[in-house]
Amino acid sequence: MIVRPKVLIVDDEPDYLAIAARIAAKAGCAVITAATALKGVELAEKEPPSLILLDVGLPDISGFEAARRMRKVPALSRTPIIFFTVRSELDMVSEGLKLGAAGYVLKPFDPDELQRRIRTAAFPS
Amino acid sequence: MRSGASCVTSDPAVRAFFESALKGLRLKFYASAAAFLKSPPRGLAVIDSSLPDMSGRDLVSVLRGDKKTSGLLLVLTGAGPYSSAAAALSLENGADEYFAFPPDARLFRARLQNLSARGAAGAGAPAARKPAEYVFGALRISPDARAASVGAARLKLTALEFDLLLYFLKNQGRVVSRTILLEQVWRQGIEAGPRAVDKRIEALRSGLGPFGAKIRTVFGLGYLFKM
Repeated sequence: MIVRPKVLIVDDEPDYLAIAARIAAKAGCAVITAATALKGVELAEKEPPSLILLDVGLPDISGFEAARRMRKVPALSRTPIIFFTVRSELDMVSEGLKLGAAGYVLKPFDPDELQRRIRTAAFPS
Repeated sequence: MRSGASCVTSDPAVRAFFESALKGLRLKFYASAAAFLKSPPRGLAVIDSSLPDMSGRDLVSVLRGDKKTSGLLLVLTGAGPYSSAAAALSLENGADEYFAFPPDARLFRARLQNLSARGAAGAGAPAARKPAEYVFGALRISPDARAASVGAARLKLTALEFDLLLYFLKNQGRVVSRTILLEQVWRQGIEAGPRAVDKRIEALRSGLGPFGAKIRTVFGLGYLFKM
């Protein structure tokens, strides 16, 4: 049986959550989702994924703070995180990349590019 | 070229091309957007469109949008073959020049030298050149004049429909959700919901005539404009 890498997608905007989920599924991944950062952290601890797609502007805590909390969990300390967000300010992008993000994708995004990034991160060669 | 260039690429073939085409110049290489953003240098930066952590187009847009880095001279290289739409889009996103990879080495070097000289002669970087007009076959769009036409016929678009068209132009090839259109295009104070977006998109499609089909509905969740 082929085990598909699991991708956790955290986004409070249903449209983008659905689009990203479809793109991840098309890339060959199993998908789990959360609409808040805290739910995302909880889900990631419970079912450690192979890749995390994380919005930055979430209603409870920021995606950056969620990433910091995830990094403290041993099983998630090396899990690739891709931020996908409308936040395009240089300081925000720098902060996201300094957190060790595998990628920083601005919304609206090119679906082909997001799929490439998911494939690269979820299926490391 | 006065002081060389920063080159942002992780691709060995692109790096080798830069080293060869810009031989004799002081080059500093960065293998990712993260490495470049740690301490963005001044002057000229040549950015590969495909970086391991960000798209070059997004990086250009971020750098151009910040006052600390808006004065950089930004050159974007994209995967070939050359397309005028990709070039126009790169300039619209803030690049000063766009080349499909691999460009002609002599032309590449000469254009970078000109760009660098113009930047050095002025107070800072020359203003990023935005195309005065987008031409896609018979469709012409002039952002400054806020006018669009198909052939000789000028299109009758409302202000909001024209704003929508410009937003799609700037985000060609990207999935745009209704929510983001409401946030980015709708005027403040106007109550609107997703259905209002759908109706306005339909009006824009109709207004664009044969080019209306270029605004595609994606999975019933958003829209994608691609010429």
